[in-house]
This record gives sequence, structure tokens and C-alpha cells, in this order.
Amino acid sequence: MSEQTAIIHDIGYRHYDGPRLGRGSAARALAVHSLRGVFGLGRTTRAKIIPFLLVAIMLLPAVVSIAVMALVKQQGIGYTAYAVAMQAVLAIFLASQAPYLVAPDLRFRVLPLYLSRPVTVLDYVGAKLVAMTAALFLLLAVPLTLLYAGELLVDLPEPVHTREYIASMVAALIAAALLASVGLALASFTPRRGLGVASVIGFYLFTSGVSGVFFAALLASGHEAAAKWTLLINPFFLVDAVQVALFGTEPSNGEGYPSGPWPALILLAVIALALTGLIARYRKAASS
Amino acid sequence: MTILATEGLTKRFPRVTALDRLTITVGTGVTGLVGANGAGKSTLIKILLGLLPATSGRAEVLGLDAAAQGAEIRRVVGYMPEHECLPPDVSATEFVVHMAQMSGLPRTAARERAADILRHVGLHEERYRPIGGYSTGMRQRVKLAQALVHDPRLVFLDEPTNGLDPQGRDDMLALIRRIGAEFGISVLVTSHLLGELERVCDHVIVIDGGALLRSSAIGEFTQTTQAIAVEVEEGLDPLAARLAELGEAVAVQGRVLTVQVRSEATFDAVRDAVCDLDLNLVRLEQRRGRIEDVFKEPAA
Repeated sequence: MSEQTAIIHDIGYRHYDGPRLGRGSAARALAVHSLRGVFGLGRTTRAKIIPFLLVAIMLLPAVVSIAVMALVKQQGIGYTAYAVAMQAVLAIFLASQAPYLVAPDLRFRVLPLYLSRPVTVLDYVGAKLVAMTAALFLLLAVPLTLLYAGELLVDLPEPVHTREYIASMVAALIAAALLASVGLALASFTPRRGLGVASVIGFYLFTSGVSGVFFAALLASGHEAAAKWTLLINPFFLVDAVQVALFGTEPSNGEGYPSGPWPALILLAVIALALTGLIARYRKAASS
Repeated sequence: MTILATEGLTKRFPRVTALDRLTITVGTGVTGLVGANGAGKSTLIKILLGLLPATSGRAEVLGLDAAAQGAEIRRVVGYMPEHECLPPDVSATEFVVHMAQMSGLPRTAARERAADILRHVGLHEERYRPIGGYSTGMRQRVKLAQALVHDPRLVFLDEPTNGLDPQGRDDMLALIRRIGAEFGISVLVTSHLLGELERVCDHVIVIDGGALLRSSAIGEFTQTTQAIAVEVEEGLDPLAARLAELGEAVAVQGRVLTVQVRSEATFDAVRDAVCDLDLNLVRLEQRRGRIEDVFKEPAA
């Protein structure tokens, strides 16, 4: 038996006279807490499986590509095509994690506890959006950066693709913002996580399916210009189209996209619509 | 010292008037807010937290205007809602730490405060387990802990004894008493049961249909129905008859005689009657009038 080395004294209730930070700090803490939660950190082991598996899958093409570069001195997957090539993985990540960020607080009515504190509805929604955007951005940016580091180290005969790398990083941020706003808006309309997952993945399957079918049908019937427009229904091609418009990169599908500012305007409109829906949803939840 | 005050506070919803020209003042200590379900208690708390705009009138909490300075109020006030509000898959510790951070405490301070307050509300080893497996009593304690973790100056407790068994009810009431007395945090606690609040409150406010019915210190409530219980070995009926002759209000309840105290003379009358009849007195005690009785009177 060990000797008794410590005694617990009941010192009664102690008041707190330390610092009380403002709204901003609380919102930042919520964003960090949410971002960690998206990757399962601070949650159960089960909650870590899916995000970590998807992170590993996202890294796979970059790792293979670096190996290819090292062995045959040839570039593997391009930076600007990464997001489009991995769109299904990104969509699954969004569908599995966006409901986690919004549904439990609605379902278990935790929201009133947040709102009885200095944070406002907009702070809350903003923190969740920042967390989801940051998570999706990291999911793309880490493999892209790894790929870039690999290219620098391998020393290919052709010049380093710095411009493509920067373009792909900006596009990753745009994609993250678009997916996060749409994903959170869709997930917030149901307090049940399962339904949230289904609605986000359903949205992706629907838009990519519709876009693919129309594109093929219109192309076959000779309406090439119209076919290009239908590509934009798929959010990943929409972001790629904006990337092409902004940086003049190679389109990730063979046909190219409608030129001009339209893809960017459509993208902004979709984000605005999603945010409007999201905020309206939370204003309603807050007043009930 | 005035902790909160409302003046002509009115809240109309499209279908109902939740608060109707309510004017109240609340001082330090534990204050009970009593009313039937739907009397406007929760609406009042939401307005005081600055979460709901009033239709007319004004409300002030800790000297801050509820309509304009809601954010400042929410920094120094705690709120325990009536409804379930806990996520099942996190532990009480994690949840309370998170809520402390949401109140603006830095992370290390949040951890310390959460550990402290969970101990004070009586959650020990179980605080590391997910909340999903907790009993109703434990959940109520977690809800209370998140309302106190940032050391507020005032805490709103909305029906904290709801759904608790008698033992849990007693524990919760004792805890509320401690918050007011030992922690030095003012409490506004709502209930639809008057009897409970009688045990812990310094002051009781009764609202009905959104309007003030009565507001007074707990002593005043009980004074009006002060009564004494008399128990004698035998001869309860002659004693009752004698006292009734003297004009006292008496009632036989089983083996106990309840005598309403009209003045000091009532005590003398009881003493003399017992002596004169040569009875063996078993018990003579003050019976605290229950506040329910008071509110039956104006209603009748």
C-alpha cells in the first residue's frame, strides 16, 4: 500500500476573477472545436475512422505521383485536375462530416445554450462554415502541397509547375467554400444525421448525374455549346471552370467550359443562395 | 440591491399575450418565479437574456438594458433551460469545458472551472462518461453546471426539478439553496409548484396569464397562515371545543389540532386550555403555512 501523500480539502466555492474574452474568442474556439471534430479529434475512435480513411485516400494519388516522378522522371497527376479527379472522395467527406457539424446541436437542442452566451446566431453559423471550409481546404491542400514538395525534390527535366500549384490552391479554397456552404445548408435542414448524410450525397449524385447525362446527350446531338453549360451543374466542374477562367489552366474535361465571367457569377450565386438558406434556417431555429 | 427589474413589460405573440404589463423587481438571493405552465415564465427569461424583443415596456438585468445590451448580460448571467439540451456522445467534462469557452473563458481556466463546478453539483467519476448514459438527475446536474461554469452573477433556472424523483428534487433544491447562500450567485428559479420554492426561496413572485399576481418575501407568505399544531394524549375534542368557545379557529386533523394564530393571545389560550382541562401535552409546534394556501385565497 502506498503512503497517503495528499489530502483533499474542500475549499468551498471559488469565484472566477480571470479574464472574460469576447464574442470573437468564443467564435474562434467554436471554429477550432468544430474543425477538430470534423476529423474526429476529441471524439470516439469510431468517429475518426471515416475522416482518416478519406484523408489517406486523398493522399494516395499524390504519393503514387511522386513515386512515378522519381522513377520515370515524368509528371503524374496534374495539380489542377486533382479536385475533379478526387470529387467522389471530397463529396463523401462532405456528406459524412457536414451533418456532424450542424445536426446534433439542432437535434439535442444545444443551440439555446450557445445563444444564452455572448455568441450570436451569425457567430455560430460563421464558425461552423469556417470549420467546414478549412477542413475541405486541408483535405485538398495537403496532398497538393505534398505533390509540389515532391516535384521540387525529384527535379524533373521540365520546369517546376509553380503556377499550376498556386492555381490549384486557390481553386481548392473556392471549392471548399462552395462545398461547405452547400453541404451545411443541406445538412441543417434536418436534425437527423442520417438524413443529412443522405441529402448531401444525394445532391452530389443528382448534380453529377444530371450534368453527365445532359452533357452526353447534347454532345451526341451536336449542341456542343449547350453541352458545355450543362457541365456547370456539377459543382466540381463549376469550380474547375472558374479555375480555367481565372488562371487559364487546362480544363479537366476534354471539351472545356463556357468562357467569360459566367461560371464565376454562377458560383457566387450558388454560395449566396446556400448561405441565405443556412442563415434563415438558424434564425428560425433560434426564435423557436 | 436590485438584480433585475421590469416595467410594464408586454410580449404579444400572434395568437397569445405571453406577458401583460408585468412590473417586477428582484433583489439578491434566491427568487422563485411561480406560475402555471404557459403563464409566461420562459418568455420572461428569454426577454431578460436579450434573446426576444419585448412588444412594449422595458427590462433591466444587473443594470443593463435587456433590449440593447443583451450580449453584455449574457456574459455574466447563466441559463439552465427547461428542455433537454445535452448531446449524448460527449462526456460531461468535455461539454462543460466547451460551454465555458463559449462564455469567453480561456481554455485552461475553462478546464479548471469545469472540474470545480462539476464537483460542486455532485458529479464525480461519471463525469468522464458520455452523457447519453446518464440518469435524469445527473443530466439536470450537467445542465446546472453549464449554467454556472463561468461564475455568473445571476443564474436563471427554468423548472430545474422537472422530471426528478422526490430524492432528486430534494438534492436539486438543496443545491439551489447553496448557489444562493454559499456561492453568492443570485438565482431566479421558476416552477409551477409553489411548495418546492417555499423551501429554498427568499422571495416569491407569482405570475398568472403573464401578469403579476403577487410578489413578496417568503416570510410574509407564511405569516398570513401561521398556525400551530397541538397534540395531546387524550381529550383532543374537549380541547377543540374549549378553544372554539374562546373564538379561536381550530381544526381537528386526525390526532392533531391545528389552531390559527390570530395574535400572541392565541398561544396563551392554548396553554391555559390545556392546563384547565388537565391534559397531557405531547406536541406544540409552529406549522408553517404553505404558500399554496395563500394563493387559494385571492383566487376564491
